[in-house]
Amino acid sequence: MADMKQVVLDRDLNPYHSFFASFFAGLGELGMLNQGSINIVAKRAADYLYAYLDAKEILPDLNSVPGESAAEVIKNLILYINKILSMVGEYDLQESGEDQVVLLIAGQTCRICPKGVGGAAVKGTLCPIPSLLEALINKIAQKDMLELITTGIEKEGSTCKAYFKVLN
Amino acid sequence: MVLTTSAQLDEILNTFERNVPHVQATAVVSTDGLVIASRLPKDVEEDRIGAMGAAILSISSRSGDELDRGEMIRVLIEGTNGYILIRSIGEFAILVALVEKEVRLGMLFYECKNCIEKLSEIL
Repeated sequence: MADMKQVVLDRDLNPYHSFFASFFAGLGELGMLNQGSINIVAKRAADYLYAYLDAKEILPDLNSVPGESAAEVIKNLILYINKILSMVGEYDLQESGEDQVVLLIAGQTCRICPKGVGGAAVKGTLCPIPSLLEALINKIAQKDMLELITTGIEKEGSTCKAYFKVLN
Repeated sequence: MVLTTSAQLDEILNTFERNVPHVQATAVVSTDGLVIASRLPKDVEEDRIGAMGAAILSISSRSGDELDRGEMIRVLIEGTNGYILIRSIGEFAILVALVEKEVRLGMLFYECKNCIEKLSEIL
């Protein structure tokens, strides 16, 4: 818990970051939450976030999102979503092979990680970001643009990677 | 001909279902709740079976530890329409089976053990 004070300062957390990361962490430690269930509930949350953005009239018009390729449009949509939710500090979206992109997140800048922020002592990943982005981007685009590749979430050193297939 | 891992897993699950009448569906899932292989009816959502199966096993295992019941052998959920059987396959995977009420439980447990042993050799 002593380290958590530093995490709050280093990652510039707001109270919601702390609450949700530690809340998910607790469920994970009880065995109630795993990456599979996080994927399902993150997609459900995307429906509610979409409704929120719609109600607040801050949904982007897809035609005005800059980008010459689908990957560039997706990159700008992630920028938009992250600006609203303030999920991560440093990240990058790179093309990796044909019709595939990889989201690279600097783990130490993630603000909603149930492990890094919430302190979950569990094996494996508990990351809500890839499924949330997939569902929210597809909802904003009103078509399937992105598909999370099964088992496509991994941590390599301090970088978290999520692999997606670009569908359009 | 060398079978892919996926084909080998499917073959083992198929044999299990053939050997035990009334087994309706099976899935091999990672302890993260992600489906590795499955033989599920079209109306069953694969993602949900994976997530719930892994969560149920994890909670059951933790409960067994906390309440001093020793190492968990299996989870058997009995409903009015049948059973859900869940077992560990080593440290990183689990087997989930959906079974009709009419099954002989002794046969189910025996064949499940054989199935787990075969799956363990691959995973």
